Amino acid sequence: MVRGIGRGGRGIPGRGGMGRPPFNRPRVLMLRPPFDLLLAEPAFPRCKPAPDDSVLTQALLKRHTELCPSPTDQAAVLSLVTKLQTVLDNIVVAPGEFAACQLEEVRQVGSYKKGTMMAGKNVADIVVIMKTLPTKEAVEGLSNKVNEEVNKLMKAEGSGAVVSACHERGFTVTGTSAAVRVLITTLHQNLRKIEPDVHLDYKVISSHLAAIRHSRWFEENAHHSSSKVLIRLLRDMCSRHSGLVPLTPWMIDLLAHHCIMNNPQRQALPINVAFRRALSLMAGGLFLPGCAGLPDPCEAAHSRAHTALDLAAQDLAAATAQTLLRVVARGGHLYVLGLQPFEGGKDISLEITVWDGVVVSPLAPAYNDSPEPMDTDDKDSV
Amino acid sequence: MMAANNYFGFTHGGTQYGAATASAAYGGQTGYAVAPAATAATYGTQRAAATGYDTAYQAAAATQAAAHAHAHAAVAAASAYDASKSAYYQQAAAAYPTAAPPQPQPTYDASAAKPAYSTPASYAQGTYSQGAAQRGAAAAKPAYGAVYSATTATASYPTQAYTATPAQTQKQIGRMVLPTRTGSALSTAKTTNRGNTAYDTALYNAASMYVAQQSKAAPGTGWKNYKTPGTGQPRRAKPPPKAQQLHYCDVCRISCAGPQTYKEHLEGQKHKKKEAAVKLAAAGGGASAAGGARGAAGGALRCELCDVTCTGADAYAAHVRGIKHQKVVKLHTMLGKPIPSTEPTKVGGDKEKDEEKEDDDAEPEVQPVGQDYIEEIRADDGKALSFNCKLCDCKFNDPNAKEMHMKGRRHRLQYKKKVQPDLEVKVKPSMHQRKLAEAKAQRMMVRDELWARRRMHDVYGQGIEEDERMYWEGGIEPWWRGPHHHHHHHGMGMGYGRRPETSDDRHVLTKHAEIYPGDAQLQHIHRAVAHTERALKSLSDALADSARQKTVPAKTKVDDKKDDKADGKEDGRDNQLFSFLAEGEQAGSTSTAGDAPRALKGVMRVGLLAKGLLLKGDRDVQLVVLCHDRPTVTLLKRVAADLPHHLAKVKGPGDEPKYKVELLPAEGAVQVSDAHVGVLVSLTSAVVREPADGGDIKRDDKDVLPRQKCLDALAALRHAKWFQARAATLQSCVIIIRILRDLCRRIPNWTPLNSYAMELLTAGVVQSAGAALSPGEALRRLMEAVAGGLLLEHGPGLRDPCEKELVDALGNMPPQKREDLTASAQQFLRQIAFRQIHKVLDMEPLPKAKHATGAWKFPRKRRRSNTDNEHDAPNGEGKIVKTEEKSDCSDTNKK
Repeated sequence: MVRGIGRGGRGIPGRGGMGRPPFNRPRVLMLRPPFDLLLAEPAFPRCKPAPDDSVLTQALLKRHTELCPSPTDQAAVLSLVTKLQTVLDNIVVAPGEFAACQLEEVRQVGSYKKGTMMAGKNVADIVVIMKTLPTKEAVEGLSNKVNEEVNKLMKAEGSGAVVSACHERGFTVTGTSAAVRVLITTLHQNLRKIEPDVHLDYKVISSHLAAIRHSRWFEENAHHSSSKVLIRLLRDMCSRHSGLVPLTPWMIDLLAHHCIMNNPQRQALPINVAFRRALSLMAGGLFLPGCAGLPDPCEAAHSRAHTALDLAAQDLAAATAQTLLRVVARGGHLYVLGLQPFEGGKDISLEITVWDGVVVSPLAPAYNDSPEPMDTDDKDSV
Repeated sequence: MMAANNYFGFTHGGTQYGAATASAAYGGQTGYAVAPAATAATYGTQRAAATGYDTAYQAAAATQAAAHAHAHAAVAAASAYDASKSAYYQQAAAAYPTAAPPQPQPTYDASAAKPAYSTPASYAQGTYSQGAAQRGAAAAKPAYGAVYSATTATASYPTQAYTATPAQTQKQIGRMVLPTRTGSALSTAKTTNRGNTAYDTALYNAASMYVAQQSKAAPGTGWKNYKTPGTGQPRRAKPPPKAQQLHYCDVCRISCAGPQTYKEHLEGQKHKKKEAAVKLAAAGGGASAAGGARGAAGGALRCELCDVTCTGADAYAAHVRGIKHQKVVKLHTMLGKPIPSTEPTKVGGDKEKDEEKEDDDAEPEVQPVGQDYIEEIRADDGKALSFNCKLCDCKFNDPNAKEMHMKGRRHRLQYKKKVQPDLEVKVKPSMHQRKLAEAKAQRMMVRDELWARRRMHDVYGQGIEEDERMYWEGGIEPWWRGPHHHHHHHGMGMGYGRRPETSDDRHVLTKHAEIYPGDAQLQHIHRAVAHTERALKSLSDALADSARQKTVPAKTKVDDKKDDKADGKEDGRDNQLFSFLAEGEQAGSTSTAGDAPRALKGVMRVGLLAKGLLLKGDRDVQLVVLCHDRPTVTLLKRVAADLPHHLAKVKGPGDEPKYKVELLPAEGAVQVSDAHVGVLVSLTSAVVREPADGGDIKRDDKDVLPRQKCLDALAALRHAKWFQARAATLQSCVIIIRILRDLCRRIPNWTPLNSYAMELLTAGVVQSAGAALSPGEALRRLMEAVAGGLLLEHGPGLRDPCEKELVDALGNMPPQKREDLTASAQQFLRQIAFRQIHKVLDMEPLPKAKHATGAWKFPRKRRRSNTDNEHDAPNGEGKIVKTEEKSDCSDTNKK
């Protein structure tokens, strides 16, 4: 009797291994999605009148308008992005005597591209794919060149000058009212040639490549405006609660899209339902080890979005979301959404609060760095 | 004749003269030469001896005499010559003992061998006439005969050449030996002067020099041309005495002080390396390869004289000035060798001119790259002191050196590696790289073949199998291609068959085993319940009898009882309604309308007992007795009064349990209890549920049992039925409910969750997963549901499926309790996620399963380790291993 015959090499179509144990093949991930009330509706039919959620809906919409950037901001970013795009395109097409690096492609990514920019953060992102390897000198050279060219354009237009400053991800061109981060990456086949002390960091470079994939995925799948509204709200919420800060924009994008669109009807859900669902899913362990989480559509199969977080961060994020869920359930959404500052800007997810006599207290972290390592690997993969 | 043919073929075949045929052919030739009819003595007879020693002698030396007469003389001469030569030859053989590589000097071969062997055609034809022979020899005169034999396997004298200049006054036989190890033409020129050994050695040196020069000049001028100006060969003919001491190595272009050092040099590493390089170049691409390989880098300059390639004009100038070059020039002047002009040759030499031109067109001048990566280190006055190349991590003081560096191959390679991967850098092919490339090609080939074979295998093996299976199974799709669930999570809604136990599962199951009631306890409970049920039936019968005692004789009662026993159902152990009615009676009750129906119609187990949720330590179970009419206090009192009597009757006299019956009018129930168990018997009736009209209530107001209690009892009946129909069939559901009951007992936050709500919740959670869940997964999913706010106020509530109208089974839970419950579940969820399920279950963490996954991968390892610690296997794992082991080794290693 061979154990695990059901999931061994024989069960998988297309594998030639005739009855031989799959030695170095990764074990099939057999993770369950978390409990999702929306999908479990048939098992839990509503037996009491749905609560009036208009207060929450209005609060959400109000907060969203606050979070949307003003048209002037958008115009400022747009003009700077356009200029940069022009300059970079020129370098791609006709490098001329510019020899610090060769550019393959220039793409807009990030919140500006996705249309999820937040008010007060007039920063757009552009990814530059280099044909050459991204040494620090190449970045510096490109930065200087771009700075020079953009300033030429600016002068011709009669507007203020821009400053370009390098950092570990590329460089940022900062104008008077907007900024563009130029993120440097290189061709995929060059990735393995990256050396840590000569070039930009490998992780940074590959994350920029991933950003391109994310933008494309977003364009194709998540362009629904409800998603964008929810993304803004969640990003704002996450930025104000310490436990949720580690969540990456990409995770939030995926979560928002999942909450809005992933329902039996395949129709966008109302914003209040989706918001509650997002909190509920996070509280229900969507981003905890051992959970199927959200599959990352831009990575290889079976990769989960939340594995970007370390275990402590996963724990903390879940704990924070759990506290916020209960706060919102008690009517504390104004604080959670940031419409009202809580006791002078304190993080409500860390405080004990009382709502109509009901005490809501934060939770202790469950993860501890125990001396015997908790190998979640085992757990994750079975 | 065959030998002649061979010889003939050999001459035209040139260098292709094979080793295999060599000995045979020469053997034949030898015989031919000494044969009486051997006019063939006019041409060279060769003897290939197994002693590793060969001779070649020129019969043409005796052309003045008759060929016949001299055949014999030639043999004699050969032996004498052998004697004188043997010493030298042994030396040579010792020095170059290994098997022969291919002919190293193709140019020499082409130019020298051909003209020599265009003539033997006339030899072959004119062997019988002396004149013809003479003529043939004369024809060969301006040149010389050269024989090459390349023997690879056995012979230690692989290459051999001999020259014949028969008409020459000195009667010189140039004998050229191309020893395999040096690969260069090391030749000996021999006169036929017999016994002149001193002269021999002197001449040997001279001849070697001569040949060396020849071979060097060969590409340009050709051996033949060189030879023609002076057939007398004054320099070599009378070698200067100095030349005797001069040992010149052509490959390395150095001279040695004496034969000893020369020999040592030839055996030395350095020489061998160079020789190998030359050989490689020759093998690589014919005549032009030597230059081509050496000068791969475009634009490099080469010093012909020293065979040194310089990367630039500066380097070349430096070389020409250098001591090494000067030495070589001096040496060559001394030897009288031609000295190529100091003008640098562009790499590749003359023959490569066009090729080089192409190179030049493609890359006229190497562009310096990576200016940005060279930082200047400046002195205080701002003058550049030195340069530091960050890519190559090297320093220069000279700006020129920096420029050179930036064009250099090393720098370019670094630049390619670190900055611009598509930069073209000409790579110097080295032995090592070539070997690597070959190995790689080999591997690729093997792999391709492997794939091809596997594909074949797939096509003919598995593929057919698969098709056939598809055919027979018709439209049935394999599960992995089954319809996807409406949302995109993997693993959901797919029947994956058996899943291995996780650590969570093991914890849950262990805990479950802990809380599951023991056999003794279950026995007690079941006995008490069975006794109570039978007593109730007996009581019911008694009541019925008393109600109709006028018409029915007492005997029938006994019959009824017998009938019941014949049914086989003595109590309600199947958790269904245990009806008190006998079969006949049922029919009778409708027909004899006048009769009062039985007051107690039946009894059913409800609650924990019916659902199988009893835990260790539970001692209270519930029975519900259905009455025909509204149960009244009077009836209850009657039951309480009569039950002990019937109990005693049922259990038999003198049996263990002493049952105590209590009347609980407020509960509408009777409590039957013994030392271990308490059985609560509630009375209720279906009539209670019907909307009570005012009159009825007024009539029995005083007497009827509390309505709510009766309703509760009825609900308990329905819940038990629901549970049996819905929850009990779900995998893991009952286990999880037991675990949760334990949780509720232990943790105050969970206590408010009433058991029915808990059952509903668990069943809903497990059912909504869409697939069978393992116990661990089910528990986690339940925690997820509660943590996600399912039980909070805005949630949907738990709809009670046993009520017609919408009822929340948990409707009465206060907000703070909900909050606490949710918070607790949230904490538990994270603890489960971080492998602390033992904290949730309040138990000791189990040791990690020893062979949970690894064993499956490495069955052999498991078998071995299993025999080691079979005894301390913590759970059922050991059992499975054992069976497997049995099947694996077919009981061989079972003692």
